[in-house]
Amino acid sequence: MLEINNLKSRIGDTEILRGLSLTINAGEVHAIMGPNGSGKSTLAQVIAGHSDYVVTGGEVNYMGNDLLDLEPEERAREGIFLGFQYPVEIPGVNNAYLLKAAVNAKRKHQGLDEVDAFEFLKCAREKMAALGMDSKFLNRGVNEGFSGGEKKRNEILQMAMLEPRLAILDETDSGLDIDALKAVATGVNNLRAADRAIVLVTHYQRLLDYIEPDFVHVLSEGKIVRSGDKTLALKLEEKGYDWVREAASA
Amino acid sequence: MKRVALSIDELRKAVLRLPEGALTAIRAAALANLDEHGLPTVRHEDWKYTNLDAAIDISNRWLSAGATLASKDSLGESIEAIISSVDANWLVIANGQVDMTYFAETRGIEVVRFSESAAPFVMDRPLADLNAALLHDGLRIRIDAATEKPLGLLVIDESNAGAAVSQASVEIVVGPGCDAEIIEHQSSAGKDDHYGNSVVALQVGQAAMVNYVRIQDRHIGHVQTGRLSVSMGKDSRLKMASYDLGGRLVRNDIDIELGEPGSEITFDGLYLVSDGQHIDNHTRVDHRVGPASSSQEYRGILNGRCRAVWNGKAIVHKGADGTDANQANHNLLLSDNAEIDAKPELEIYADDVKCSHGTTVGQLDESALYYLRTRGLDKRQATQLLTHAFAADLIGRAPVAAAVDAIQSLVEARLADLLQEPAS
Repeated sequence: MLEINNLKSRIGDTEILRGLSLTINAGEVHAIMGPNGSGKSTLAQVIAGHSDYVVTGGEVNYMGNDLLDLEPEERAREGIFLGFQYPVEIPGVNNAYLLKAAVNAKRKHQGLDEVDAFEFLKCAREKMAALGMDSKFLNRGVNEGFSGGEKKRNEILQMAMLEPRLAILDETDSGLDIDALKAVATGVNNLRAADRAIVLVTHYQRLLDYIEPDFVHVLSEGKIVRSGDKTLALKLEEKGYDWVREAASA
Repeated sequence: MKRVALSIDELRKAVLRLPEGALTAIRAAALANLDEHGLPTVRHEDWKYTNLDAAIDISNRWLSAGATLASKDSLGESIEAIISSVDANWLVIANGQVDMTYFAETRGIEVVRFSESAAPFVMDRPLADLNAALLHDGLRIRIDAATEKPLGLLVIDESNAGAAVSQASVEIVVGPGCDAEIIEHQSSAGKDDHYGNSVVALQVGQAAMVNYVRIQDRHIGHVQTGRLSVSMGKDSRLKMASYDLGGRLVRNDIDIELGEPGSEITFDGLYLVSDGQHIDNHTRVDHRVGPASSSQEYRGILNGRCRAVWNGKAIVHKGADGTDANQANHNLLLSDNAEIDAKPELEIYADDVKCSHGTTVGQLDESALYYLRTRGLDKRQATQLLTHAFAADLIGRAPVAAAVDAIQSLVEARLADLLQEPAS
């Protein structure tokens, strides 16, 4: 589904990704771990299409096409979803309105009619209930005045409504209490499917207690320095990131 | 640059041609004032950013063509289109002529026409002089009881036979303890240049509560200068919201006198400005006694080659202790060619006061635009959504419920139009 080959990227004058390669297939859940500044979030933003991150080398192929050619909205309509580490507050833009506009943008791209308003609301309310979100959040401004946990649940709600092919969740676990973490994990686990890939970008192993990854990659200085199964995350938790850095430079 | 001057000789001839009546003496006095002082120029501090050349040019063309008052008969359809969108009791001034046909006599509202009985005018400003000098008729309205429907005041001008000029003058007195809802709508029809000049005086009685909406959606050939003078009684309240959507050159002067203790005013405004437009909002609040509070927030959205001015003055006079004055002005500039001159002015001569002001000028939030795009909305949709969001807050503040739907659709249509222009 996604093939990243020797990807290099910088923001401003700072080189962040320095030759990253990664292949993700449908049905897989990947965890990308690494210390602060290793390039985890940069990777997520480059895949989503943030214009501040300049790609200076390598390629990214998504569903057989050059991903880097596409605008952020085209990537979204092609089924890429990025759950933000810091979801943006947009006062005055109604949450339900955005959800519906997002769903319809994708449906239009697929040649489908706009979603039925009644069905849409019913579906949104069900998914909110499953996430432990009060449906009153539908009528609030997007993330406006939401707590950290509410914002992350809102990201998962958007993901659930958009049913992406490739979901990238950037530090979705940060700032969550245990109930919110469980709710978010349940939301993610419910979306696991044979035709969908999920990438969890996380600093800590904790999230992986609730969402079991098929693969764990460790990022250091803009490259994947180690890949393995879920036991790699446990080892990392036990030995710390210094172990990886040492292993990488050895 | 050679300045254009109003042709006073032609103006005098036009004034003398007006029918004799209750207004004759007032016109003569106004003309004398105008002759002495002239119209303001950019040398006046209050007119630094706005020159009246376009108004003067239209006036001179109209004067030299005989200064006839355009008929109001062809305006029927345009009037009906506007008043059918808001359930109010409408008084109409069409091409400077009072039209009572849409007004239903109602207990609690008394209406007198200036042409029947003209009380002394306050003519303290050149544009008010111009207004009085050329006045055919005007309205004095007294509201003494709450009414089922809001009072609507439609000022509409049409010019189809060359440049034209018209005046509207209205006095509204809201009696003690009375609740009133008022909608003032200034609009236009026709294709030629027009200059409309209006003077509205609002007196809010003791413990009265007034909710006031002002809508201006003139077309791009029209110039408007409008003055609203408000005086607030003891313990009275005023909630006002203004929506400036059209016009080539628009200058609004809002002057509010807080001369009695206990009054509370909020007045907000939204201006949407695009190619070829110049919209200037000058507000002034005189806090003469305390306690009293005033609060205003104006927001502007500008696209294309255009200019807007916001000048908010609050003067807290000596002894006006217990004053609370807040002013805010926020602007969204969608084009490099758009210019905003934003100027808060606070003058404080009392000790125990709370005053604040804040002004921002900016572009759309890039991180919000990107966030929306990662959800599948294209750049245009995302821009529209964020621009609407910026305006939505002020639409929500319209204090007259009967006008909210009309404001919503006017603002949305105007915004869609404004966003058609390529952002540069």
